[in-house]
This record gives sequence, structure tokens and C-alpha cells, in this order.
Amino acid sequence: MNLKFILTMAWYYGIKTIVRGPSYIIASLSTPLTLLFLVFVLSHGALVKFAVVGGLIAFVGSVGLSGAGDSAFFRLQLRIQDLYVSSNIKPFDYMIAFTLSYLVFAIPGIVLYVYLGELYHLFNLYDSLVMILLMVSLIMTTTSISFMISGSIRHLRNIWGITGIITILTSILPPTFYPYYYVPRNFLYIIALSPTTPAAVIAQGVFGLSPMMNSMVYIMIFETAIYLILARFLVRWREN
Amino acid sequence: MITISGLNKIYNKNKIALNIENQDIDNGIVSIIGQNGAGKTTLLRILSTQLKATSGDAFIDNISVMKEYNKIRKKTVSIPQEAAPIGILTSYEQVYMYLTARGFSFHSAREEANRALKEVGLYNVRNRPTDELSGGMKRKMFVAMALASNADTIFLDEPTTGLDPLSRMEVWSAIKELTGNTILTTHYMEEAEELSRKIYMMDSGNFIGSGTIDELLLPLKGRIRIESREKMDNSYHIGNLYMKYVDSKDLPDYENKYYSIKKVTIEDLFIIRGVNLES
Repeated sequence: MNLKFILTMAWYYGIKTIVRGPSYIIASLSTPLTLLFLVFVLSHGALVKFAVVGGLIAFVGSVGLSGAGDSAFFRLQLRIQDLYVSSNIKPFDYMIAFTLSYLVFAIPGIVLYVYLGELYHLFNLYDSLVMILLMVSLIMTTTSISFMISGSIRHLRNIWGITGIITILTSILPPTFYPYYYVPRNFLYIIALSPTTPAAVIAQGVFGLSPMMNSMVYIMIFETAIYLILARFLVRWREN
Repeated sequence: MITISGLNKIYNKNKIALNIENQDIDNGIVSIIGQNGAGKTTLLRILSTQLKATSGDAFIDNISVMKEYNKIRKKTVSIPQEAAPIGILTSYEQVYMYLTARGFSFHSAREEANRALKEVGLYNVRNRPTDELSGGMKRKMFVAMALASNADTIFLDEPTTGLDPLSRMEVWSAIKELTGNTILTTHYMEEAEELSRKIYMMDSGNFIGSGTIDELLLPLKGRIRIESREKMDNSYHIGNLYMKYVDSKDLPDYENKYYSIKKVTIEDLFIIRGVNLES
């Protein structure tokens, strides 16, 4: 692993660009915070704890996916990916560097959600550790998905539409802002293809908001492994 | 020295992009010229390990491009065609980041990035986002990457395409600073003449000739190009122009008439080869 490159990219493409373009932070926070507000209003505050826990899951998931647009832009428009392919950097390092850059952008959002969690007395040490594990797993799977998508795109214009659809499928449709038992069990397993679904279901169980559903733990572990393996083979790097 | 051996690249729908039996490419600064679709970019992408060949192999200093690509990547740098900088980052940040990707330490990356940016004349603007730089400066940033990497072999794919004449001259001066073996592709004949000591000509995915400019122009020695909008016998028809090549001793026949008289360049070799003669 080329840690020097990963840290340098996170520093330059993450931290430095915040100063030059802070709108990105606001943009990444706008959807989950708007949904949180809507859930609060429509449920008269009854589901707000679900929305805080799920909002954090959706937010982290969307961070991983947001790399798809930029990586497609780097590959198709700027031709920067070719430069890095021939530099001996590994695709995994390139992926991690992108994700870490986006995580830097996500820090204010994560802090805000943690603060909201504290306000609603949601977090203790054990729950927080589980949440961190879920977020790490989620960021790995969504990053893998985003790089597989961006690698399959031939025309740059398509990436914006596709990431919009994938973001809805992975962060809004799954039970991130509502109790998972609201949806039929069969449908829950279908939407479990999105890694945010098992993450949200586990989080709801761990935080005592819904009954624990052990099968989702296995699904989460299985999906993390599968998406990483798929990314290993499907991410477009040295072209055929 | 690059040795190409039976290198083929066939894309979907059986489109043959490259079909080279055997070819050596000398050390030093050399140019590969050819029209669009001649196979220049495909060849460079294979040699710099960005693209896999369908069959065959090539060797850079006896190292296989197909099998030992990790070794090749350590020895080479490739600046892709139409590569554009990340506009929000500065040229220093991008050269530095690229060097860390190549395994440089933080200290060496800083030193080499500054040195290279000085050599290509970007040091004074190194802390400006590249969106604010001119087209020539943006391209020079990539040359600085190549320069800073200290690679043995540098591939530059059409490094000045789309630039105005002044910006092209700026990039040329930066390219002249490169110390490694440099292989550049171009369809600007004057660029090949200006920068390289040997020129390789490609057409339809294969090499069709090589040599110094004088060697390549030998078939046209003592001839001049006559251009006219009116049809001429035994001429080549391109767009609304007719062209023919005549002995320079026949020049008086074409002077003081509606003809344009031009000195022959490498461009003319492509005209002779690629355009049908109209009688």
C-alpha cells in the first residue's frame, strides 16, 4: 500500500480543496439533513432517532458513492487515471486515496450527526464502536460500488444520472430514515443488496430502536467481502 | 532502446488498431508521426502499460511490456493525450502528488517538484490553481511531472495538440529539458522536425518508414510543391486544393501565375502516400 500517495491525495484533494470550494461540504450534507428535517416534521419527532442513526449511515454511504463522479471525470475527461496507471500505483491505493479525500469532506457532517446523537442520548461506548465498524465496512463497499460504476461508464454525461439513481437506491430507499420493520421482509432482503440496508438494520438493533436482526450481520459481512472482490476484478485499470 | 515484436491490438468488431511485425525505436528524443487513427496513441498506451496488446510483445531495455509491467512502470513516464490538470489544485500539488504515487519520499517529492517546475518555467505560478493557468502552462505542468520523475523513458502523446503557436513553443522548450529517452507522438510535422533527431512514420497501425528528416525527404529531393485551386494534371486533391510535385528547375513555369509554391516537408510524404493521384 502506498500510504504516502493516499495521505497526499487526501491532504490536497480533501483538506486543501475545502478551503478553495467549501460548497461541497454543504452539498453533501444537504440531502440527509433535509430528510432528517422532513422525518422530524412528518412523524412529529417520533422517528427522529431513526433518522439520526440512519442519516449517519446514509451520509457515509453517499460519501463512498460520490467518488464515482470524480473518478469517471478523472478517467474520461482529464485522462489523469492513465497517468496514474502507468505510475505503478495500485488501483486499490487509488480507490482508497479518493475515498479518504471524500471522508475529509464528510468530517463536519459526521461530527454534526454525532452531536445530534448525543442530544438524543443515543450513543454509548459499545454502540459507538459498532457504529464505527459499520461505517468502515460501508465506506469500503460503497467505494467499491462507485469505482465499478465509474469504470463501466463510456460517456461522462451518464455518470451524473447513474450516481443519482444509485444514491437514491443506497441511501434513501433502504430503511435509513424509518424503522426497517415498516417494509415487508421479502422486500427488505431485496433492498439488502444495497450495503446501507444491513448497516441501517444493524444500527437500529444495536441502538435499541428496533429488534436486532442477526441475519443482517451475516449479510453485511458477506456483502463487504463480495463487493471488495468484485471491485478487485471489475475496476477498470490497465485496459484490455 | 525499444524493441517491438509482433505487436497486435484488435478492438471489438475486429478493428485492427495495431499490427507491427518487428520494429526498433532508438534512444534519444524521437517522434512518431502519423495521421489520426494511424495507431500512435495505441502504441504508446501499450508501451506505457496502460493498455494490453492482443498479441505480441515489446521490450524496453529488454524488459517485457506485457509480462513485467511493474518494472516498466518504474522506468517510464507517460503523459496521456489531452491530459488536463485537476483545476482546483496547483501545479506544485499535482507534480508532488504524482511523485508520491511513483514512490518518492515526501522530501524528495518536494525537492524534485520544485526543481522541475523551475526548469519548465512554472515556479513563479506553482501555487496558483491550474484553472488559472494558460493552456501552454497546463501542458508544461505535465512535462514537469515527467522531468521530476527522473524516468529513463518518457512517452508524450501529442503534447501540444490544441495549443496556440506561442504556447507550443513554450512546451517545446520544456520538452528540450527532458534528459531521458523521449518518444513523442505528434501530427504536427514541424514539431517532429523541431524536437527529434529521428522520426518514425506510422500509417494504418504499422510503421512505414523511419530516419532523419533528410533521409525521409530523400524521395522528394530537388522537388517543390505546387498548389492551386484549379485542377492540375497528375495532382493530389485535398479539400479544394490540388497539389503536385515538380522539379525545382521547372519553377519558372509556375512563377507569376495563380500558383502557390511550397518547400517540401514530411507532411508531403503523407500526401503522396495517403491521397490518390488524379490524372
